[in-house]
Amino acid sequence: MEIVKTRKDVTMMLAIEGRLDSLTSPQLEAEIVGKLDGVAHLIFDLSKLTFISSSGLRVLLLTQKIMDTQGSMTIRNLPQEFREYFDETGFSRVMRIE
Amino acid sequence: MKINIHGLAFKQSMAVFAGISIVFAALFFFSNSHIQGKLSQMLLQKGEEVSRANVALINKLFSSGRTFGEEVAYNIGSQNLSAAELDNYLLRTLSGVRATVPQVVAMVAAFEPGMAPDSTNEEYMRLAYFSGDSTTVINGGNYHEKIWYKSTKDSLRGLWQEPFIGDFIKEPIVIFTTPIFRTDSTGEKKFAGVLCVDISIAFLKDMIANMPVSNDGYAVVLSASNLVIAHPKNELTFKANFASLSRNASHRRLVEFENAVHSMKHGLFLGTAVDGEDAAIYFSAMESIDWTFLIVWPANKYMEEQRSVSHMYAWISFGGYALIFILILVITFRASRPLKALAVAADKLGHGDFTAEIPVVTGHDEISLLAGAFTDMRTSLQKFIETQKDMDRSRRDLEFSRSIQLGILSKNEVEEGCADNRHALAPFLLPALDAGGDYYDFFKLDDDHLLVLIADVAGKGVPATLVMMVSRIVIRTLALHHTSVSEIFNETNDGLMSHNRDQLFVTAWMGIIDLRTGHMEFVSAGHKAPAIRRKDGSVAFVNSVPDVALVVKEDFSYNTQTLDLNTGDTLFMYTDGLTNARNAAGKIFGKDELLRALAESGNRAPAEINSFMKERLDRFTGDAPQLDDIAMLTLRYDGVAENS
Repeated sequence: MEIVKTRKDVTMMLAIEGRLDSLTSPQLEAEIVGKLDGVAHLIFDLSKLTFISSSGLRVLLLTQKIMDTQGSMTIRNLPQEFREYFDETGFSRVMRIE
Repeated sequence: MKINIHGLAFKQSMAVFAGISIVFAALFFFSNSHIQGKLSQMLLQKGEEVSRANVALINKLFSSGRTFGEEVAYNIGSQNLSAAELDNYLLRTLSGVRATVPQVVAMVAAFEPGMAPDSTNEEYMRLAYFSGDSTTVINGGNYHEKIWYKSTKDSLRGLWQEPFIGDFIKEPIVIFTTPIFRTDSTGEKKFAGVLCVDISIAFLKDMIANMPVSNDGYAVVLSASNLVIAHPKNELTFKANFASLSRNASHRRLVEFENAVHSMKHGLFLGTAVDGEDAAIYFSAMESIDWTFLIVWPANKYMEEQRSVSHMYAWISFGGYALIFILILVITFRASRPLKALAVAADKLGHGDFTAEIPVVTGHDEISLLAGAFTDMRTSLQKFIETQKDMDRSRRDLEFSRSIQLGILSKNEVEEGCADNRHALAPFLLPALDAGGDYYDFFKLDDDHLLVLIADVAGKGVPATLVMMVSRIVIRTLALHHTSVSEIFNETNDGLMSHNRDQLFVTAWMGIIDLRTGHMEFVSAGHKAPAIRRKDGSVAFVNSVPDVALVVKEDFSYNTQTLDLNTGDTLFMYTDGLTNARNAAGKIFGKDELLRALAESGNRAPAEINSFMKERLDRFTGDAPQLDDIAMLTLRYDGVAENS
């Protein structure tokens, strides 16, 4: 799984390519925890996401909780095949999905 | 420092020494023969230099003497001189020759019987000699048997007689004898007598004494019979001969020497013992007289140079050996010490002792490479073992969560104590190898109310299991005081949220069924809708609108939803491990297949329905691995007994 991080002032974009499961979630978590200082807008670009499990959702939730205290979080380009998962678990109501 | 004779250091050292020894030996022999050759060359040159002039001088003298003698013999033979005329002639020529060949000291004319001037048959010998500066002539006799007369008469040609010390003239003399011929009346040449020319060779003594030959060489003159005629040691002259000088030489060597002189005329001869020592001899055979002129270098003197070179060579070799010995020792022990340390370290490593000291070897040679590789290997091994431990630990953790899952959860209603004749219920849980989040629960709130729950904790392993355990207890505890499913979930959500930094959310579906009526109130926290199989066999998914999963949103108000089970209806709850299961082709089991299978399960009891569904799943997935926990909870409502 590859993470492409781009930062412009207070905006950070994280593009995820590949699987976000129990094996790769720690990698994303390592990029989040303690690394979001001064970020007011965090954007996840999930256009190249191939798979997501509960572990992946967990990290997104974690990120959401952090951004709730310092700004906002947005999920962009969520592949259609995962839409149902987000809906079913109610995550689409908790997170902003564009 | 113990020397291991089987060790690398020793073997290498020995091999190098052997090699060096061979090289040194070869060098030694080569240089020796080279020096030998050079020395010989030098001696040859010197010998030639020194001999040439002197031999030429001697040759000239004797040639002149010979010519003189032959001329006088001819004159005497061809003229018929009277006694007085003969005497006169002798005196005159003797005086005359002093100017050209001053070494001539006397002349003798001795005749055959009947050939003398007075034709007497008696002996007739006239001896003319120098007395001071004047010449005198006297009679002589008794000559017929003398060697000088006989040998000349026998050979009928000029001969050089063996030198001797004259008793008449007290000097070393050499005599040239030549036959006198008269032609008789018939014209035949007849032997008439012998003419002698006595030549003093006293000058030789001075010549020898004054000869400068370096390297302590000296000159010796040998006569035709190898008698020593001149020698720096005067006492040897006319007393010793070459053979006696070469006391230690074998007869063979002497013969070789003679042959060499005769065949080569001049050259270098090595090895004969002269004066009892080994020597190098430069010999020149003289032309005019069958004498040999020698320059002798005693071996120990001329060899001195060679010997000093040999000694120096030996010292250098020894020094070289010593130096190389030390170098070899240093180098090979430099190699073998770390190798030994590495061997010790390897042994320790093999016994699990990672504290073994690995020598730090500087440099870029193979030893330092090995030491470096060793250090890397140890680090890798340590890491590997740590990883293994971690893996073991992970496996143990997973085994732990598995045993929790399987152990804590009730297997059947009897265990739980909630069985009755109004319903039948069967759970199913198959944890995946590394999962630990799925669970089910069922228990009675009171006699008529049964709570059923199926849930899926996010994540895997021990953390998920712990959350599972906590939520199970929380829900059970809350259920003691609440009858509303939504209230229970609200409280559960709040309770779990405050203690969940890792955001391990839980999807759950919970329902409370009134066993008297079959009416069920349920709540869905982000969980998949259960399926219902009605008594008539139709299957459908429950109209369950999922709220957000637990532990996601604070202060969330969950909504109570309802459904009604009629007698004979079966409610099938499951987790997404069932519907998300993939086969080898990557296709998921899916909701449609689930409904199809449920429809086909027919009137089976809940436990059998679970097995049936599992079978269908297995058939679908084949050999593909199970990635997530699979949990099922099947509830059949049987209604109030008609005749209770």
